Amino acid sequence: MSEEQVTEHTWTESQVSSSNAHITIKGLRKVFKRDETETVALEDFSLDIKKGELITLVGPSGCGKTTILRLIAGLTDPTSGEILINGKPCAAPGADRGMVFQDFALFPWRSVRKNVEFGLEVAGVPKEERREKAERYIKLAGLENFIDARVHELSGGMKQRVGIARALVGHPDVILMDEPFGALDAQTRNIMQVQLLKILEKTDQTIVFVTHSVDEAVFLSDRIVVLTKRPASIKEVIDIPWPRPRDRAAPEFTALRKKILTELEEENVMNY
Amino acid sequence: MSRFLGIKYDENNKYHRFARTAVITVISLSIFIFVWWAISVITDSTAIPTPLETWDALVDLYLHGDRMTKISLGQYVSSSLSTFLKGFLLALAVAVPTGLILGYSKILRDFTNPVIEVLRPIAPIAWAPIFMLSLGYSIGPILVVFVGIFFPLLTNVVFGVRKIDPNWIDAARTLGASQLQIFYKVMMPAAVPYVMNGIKVGLGVGWMCIVAAELYATPLGGIGFYLAEQATVGNWPGAYAALVIIGVLGLLTIGVADYLHRLLSKRMGMEV
Repeated sequence: MSEEQVTEHTWTESQVSSSNAHITIKGLRKVFKRDETETVALEDFSLDIKKGELITLVGPSGCGKTTILRLIAGLTDPTSGEILINGKPCAAPGADRGMVFQDFALFPWRSVRKNVEFGLEVAGVPKEERREKAERYIKLAGLENFIDARVHELSGGMKQRVGIARALVGHPDVILMDEPFGALDAQTRNIMQVQLLKILEKTDQTIVFVTHSVDEAVFLSDRIVVLTKRPASIKEVIDIPWPRPRDRAAPEFTALRKKILTELEEENVMNY
Repeated sequence: MSRFLGIKYDENNKYHRFARTAVITVISLSIFIFVWWAISVITDSTAIPTPLETWDALVDLYLHGDRMTKISLGQYVSSSLSTFLKGFLLALAVAVPTGLILGYSKILRDFTNPVIEVLRPIAPIAWAPIFMLSLGYSIGPILVVFVGIFFPLLTNVVFGVRKIDPNWIDAARTLGASQLQIFYKVMMPAAVPYVMNGIKVGLGVGWMCIVAAELYATPLGGIGFYLAEQATVGNWPGAYAALVIIGVLGLLTIGVADYLHRLLSKRMGMEV
């Protein structure tokens, strides 16, 4: 990667174009209200997410990143504003938007296979097809030797691979990942990032990824959205056209990391 | 390697652990029987028979049955167990579905809570005379057992449903599950360890209730009836023999429940 390419393609705000937008978020506002206390989590938040891109939301702790994911998932309703998916307003949660949770949220009474089959099961997919599909994704996640294992027998990294397989198996258009590797140690985390990219190579889904880790964001993303402190709004959108796999030690990698970290620090300083 | 009673003891060896428990149990019971014997001898009261006299009464009951009513020990015990089992199954059939629904629906929970909180503190045995006289001696004791088991079971099931990890519900929703599917594919299995815990508590209370209910002289027998009868005629060793039988049967019931609870918790991958 040459110096010119970096100046040409990075550091610039992405041009928002509605034409190929998969998810359009318009003027989103979310207020959590309990008796007299109002917490504004999101204020006038707008973003276009392109089909098939991996977009990462990074921001100071408690800025409302997870709220954005939950709104896209339909797990909570916006106070005002709207979210369009393929031009249609998104409503209740559904199999078209898969979600991966920080604490895995696997069903401990089900085996690995049965966890992955859950979405197909509730959709009424016939047993044979269910088995076959689940096995394919379990293999893709590298868990073929643990197919009948129980959740508590797995390591954290393996659990999250089940979580990813479970979200992917129904082939949703959108995958929402809420700090999926946040509960893992640093080494497992790096391995999981590489594995995630390998899995995603074989799929064409749009991924919305929330993370605390700037390193993770730079390693994975097509675009990074840097958020301000609460109420979250967009501070900057950064395109990363670099090919994968990326070298974490490359100068442009560390330079971008440093730049984003500095921006987040500014936000945090304003916080205290 | 440590020492137990001066003997080499290895905590990590299951035979050592078993031997330790066995030795402690034997010593503990021996002391109990010795103290019982000492009290009996010191007070010199016929109302406190010695352990040996009680043992003789037990053997006599086993060999010849109740000499007054000509009812055998087996008939007494099976009569008590059958009443107990009926009350237990009735409580299970009512409390589990009710608990699942009350745990799920806040409005129904709030609506029924005042009534439950008024009824719950009433000792189940207080219902005994009412049930016996209004419903007869066959249904009466069953209902007393029912009341005894119902409330602890209900409380545990409601608690279990409410304690369900909200992430499991969210995960199920994003996988496309309907409310009904969430109810029987997530909430019901997630509540199973709590149901087992409720059964464990309920069995203990239920066992106390059955004997107490039978004290109200059920002509159909039951070990509680035998106890009351022996005490009435002043045959104290016989009364104490009844107590021993009640204790042993209660221990067995709870042992079975405990075993099932552990088995299921392990199978379901959940600890309660």
